[in-house]
Amino acid sequence: MDILSSLLVVAFAGLIHASFQLSTSVLTTLSGHAIGSKKSHARTLRLTSSFVFGAGLMTLLIVTFVAYVISQAFGTSVPLYVWSIAAGLLFGIGVAVWLFYYRKGEGTTLWIPRSLASYLNDRTKATKLSGESFGLGLVSVLSELIFIIGPIIIAALVVVQLPSQWQLIGVAIYTLISLLSLGIVWALVGSGHSLSRVQKWREANKGFLQFAAGSGLLVLGFYVYVAQVIAASVGGI
Amino acid sequence: MGLAVDIVKREGRRQNEGFNEQKLHASIVAACLSVRTPVGQAESIAKSVTETVMQWLEDKQEITSGDIRTIAAKHLHTHHPDAAYLYKQYKITM
Repeated sequence: MDILSSLLVVAFAGLIHASFQLSTSVLTTLSGHAIGSKKSHARTLRLTSSFVFGAGLMTLLIVTFVAYVISQAFGTSVPLYVWSIAAGLLFGIGVAVWLFYYRKGEGTTLWIPRSLASYLNDRTKATKLSGESFGLGLVSVLSELIFIIGPIIIAALVVVQLPSQWQLIGVAIYTLISLLSLGIVWALVGSGHSLSRVQKWREANKGFLQFAAGSGLLVLGFYVYVAQVIAASVGGI
Repeated sequence: MGLAVDIVKREGRRQNEGFNEQKLHASIVAACLSVRTPVGQAESIAKSVTETVMQWLEDKQEITSGDIRTIAAKHLHTHHPDAAYLYKQYKITM
């Protein structure tokens, strides 16, 4: 894979990551509590910015950690069976997203256990300081690891094969694109838009978001399998 | 002073408690403010909704917190549909 193709794959993986909604749900709830408890606009922005920063930092840490583990295990030449496993993982997660990501019924209730959702809800309500909000951002990314691990592994596999100066750029691209949906909600709240419009849009389009995330994983898995496994096998014959 | 009504908490996981008018009022105000309603209007809507809920509660002895939320959301909808929408979204956003 050349550098441009690699960065495009990383960007696509980041986009899939951005379509997962747990952090966005937490940010929407956090914004609602902050505005509803008569906090000043600046304070609300500080809380939401800290949350987005926390989510971004945790994403950056996970991607670099996975990339480090891969580079230590395989160096810059990743074996075909690892690509095959990664593609299989994407197919599995893609189907799981189609089937389980949102619960049926009103609202945007996600697959997460209700006790965890209740805990996150209570923590979000209790968050009053920027530090707590930052921690909530870290936790929200970790809570969704079971789904985001697919695109993260692909990004890491691609990044370790890049020249060292491009590796940082690859990780930065992934992290920034993965924050896209959070950035949009942050900007809408910051510019004074009504939260009910944001949440109504999310509820009305949850089926599309679920389909897009699942399909994105399947497409990425298919591309990785064809470009890395089949192409290498055919080239090797 | 609250009414002598027992509020059964969600899924019975927490102990029952008496109806707290202030708590309901504050939650309605918060929902209104979340959709950028001016403070004065939010207070006035919350007062009206709380009074309606209290009238509904008068002949009840035991209800769930979910019942209160449903009735409050229904009345809030007549004053401010957007606020009612967000009020109903509590616990079903994630």
